[in-house]
Amino acid sequence: MSTDPIIRVENVSFAYQLNQDQQVPVLQNVSLEVFPGEYVAIIGHNGSGKSTLSKHLNGILTPKEGDVFVNGINTRDKARIHEVRSRVGMVFQHPDNQIVATIVEDDVAFGLENIGTAEEEMKERIDFALEAVGMSAFRHRPPHHLSGGQKQRIAIAGILAMKPQCLVLDEATSMLDSYGRQDILAVVRKLHSEGMTIVTVTHHMSEVAEADRVIVMEGGKIVLQGTPREVFSHQERLQELHLDVPDASRVAALVHTEYPAFSPDLIHNEEVVAEVNRVYGRRAEASGS
Amino acid sequence: MSAEFELTRNITIGQYLPTGSVVHRLDPRFKLAAFVVMILAIAICNTYVGNLFALAVCIWMFSVSKIPLHYGISGIKPAVPFIIILAIMQLLFYGEIANGGTIYLKYGFITISSESIRLVVVSAMRFVDVIFLSSVLTLSTSTTELTHGMERLLGPLEKVKFPVHAFALIITIAIRFVPTFAMEMEKMMKAQASRGADFGTGEWWRIVRRTKDMFPIIIPLFNVALARAEDLILAMEARCYVPGASRTRFAHYKASSKDYLALLFSIVISVIMLGIPF
Repeated sequence: MSTDPIIRVENVSFAYQLNQDQQVPVLQNVSLEVFPGEYVAIIGHNGSGKSTLSKHLNGILTPKEGDVFVNGINTRDKARIHEVRSRVGMVFQHPDNQIVATIVEDDVAFGLENIGTAEEEMKERIDFALEAVGMSAFRHRPPHHLSGGQKQRIAIAGILAMKPQCLVLDEATSMLDSYGRQDILAVVRKLHSEGMTIVTVTHHMSEVAEADRVIVMEGGKIVLQGTPREVFSHQERLQELHLDVPDASRVAALVHTEYPAFSPDLIHNEEVVAEVNRVYGRRAEASGS
Repeated sequence: MSAEFELTRNITIGQYLPTGSVVHRLDPRFKLAAFVVMILAIAICNTYVGNLFALAVCIWMFSVSKIPLHYGISGIKPAVPFIIILAIMQLLFYGEIANGGTIYLKYGFITISSESIRLVVVSAMRFVDVIFLSSVLTLSTSTTELTHGMERLLGPLEKVKFPVHAFALIITIAIRFVPTFAMEMEKMMKAQASRGADFGTGEWWRIVRRTKDMFPIIIPLFNVALARAEDLILAMEARCYVPGASRTRFAHYKASSKDYLALLFSIVISVIMLGIPF
């Protein structure tokens, strides 16, 4: 059924073991569901547990308490971990540290080799994945001559080749320059429009504004949740959590204090432009008559 | 000063020289197999003419693969002292063992006979042949192709539980990270130099000092390497890597008739080499 979640996180707690009797709790009783086709952004400042949460989504970490299910498969089930990881793919922060091969094509093949894809099918899937991220022309190149954004696109291709249903981006754009980031966002946007479920962990609020749902983490708990518009309307709460809001939201809120007619609930730059036109247009009309 | 720190610009892994010749385009599995056959033949062959023939074939292979011969000769240079020492040792101490043929000189434990001279000359020639051959191989095959070829050729060893995939993966990752670490090292050298560290200005014979100079680079480099390794493990696990699990392999190469011909050629050469009586 389409309403079944792809990922179900149930009362998950996790702690890093410091030594024999000291633990650092990272996640406390987190529950969360991700549905097919959704675009979810997880935000929170450093140490809020957002990255740890994302590493639970495909069984890289298994919870101390509680369970994570991917398509109904418990991530603790070591025998089916292949199924979990090929359904929920993960892209990490450092573009350099996720590429294993000396040639782009080989790197994309790596995951396929691991899940035992037949040789005849591999080529087709590699073609598809490189095409999807726009890197087909680079297939025979060594990865170290590529830019950060290109490397990250290769990392995404390596995941896509495994035909996942969900892509988790664990701060995948944080090491990139703004061109690289735009590249990755364009790829992610395209994948999402084609039906891919996206979970992104990020610092960049402009990326958050594109999501369907935003989850705000603090101290290992989910403290706020909702559409970007709902979440960014709690500007003071976010400030307490040392989180930014998109520039558009801040501008809108500031203008709103001067001109109450100007809507404060804006998150995209284009919306600000439209709102300025609307308010300005009305004032012009009022003064004209 | 600045040129010292440009490590990434002139980094070469292996010594691949892309000329696009027939030899370059051979399937690396077959190329590697053909080379192994010829090296075995050279190791067995102990006749003057056989080795001369091998030498001629090696030189001919340089021209076929469009690689200038001086690349091969520069490969021999560092081996020359070794070859000479070996020749002297053999001449002095091997007379007793290879004592057939005419004896030219017998003085105490030193025996020099036609057989021992043959041994000396043939060993020196073998060295040259092998260096030439391996030069052609490494100059005409990229490191990636070499690893692919090796992995395929060693494939049957999986049956006796030799971890061929893991072995090939280790080599691949090592090669993959050479430029990354070179870049890292460049960054660190610049950072340390900007804080007054001093590299390579000590005299070459003060080995201890020159080694100590490198500590502020080597230790952080290790640190970074470990951090990267940890990241890489996560990324590999996220892509379903399980050490030792059975995997399939992406097929790069399709053997064509020219690959079989190359292998056949190497066998024919070997047979001729071993068949020559002198």
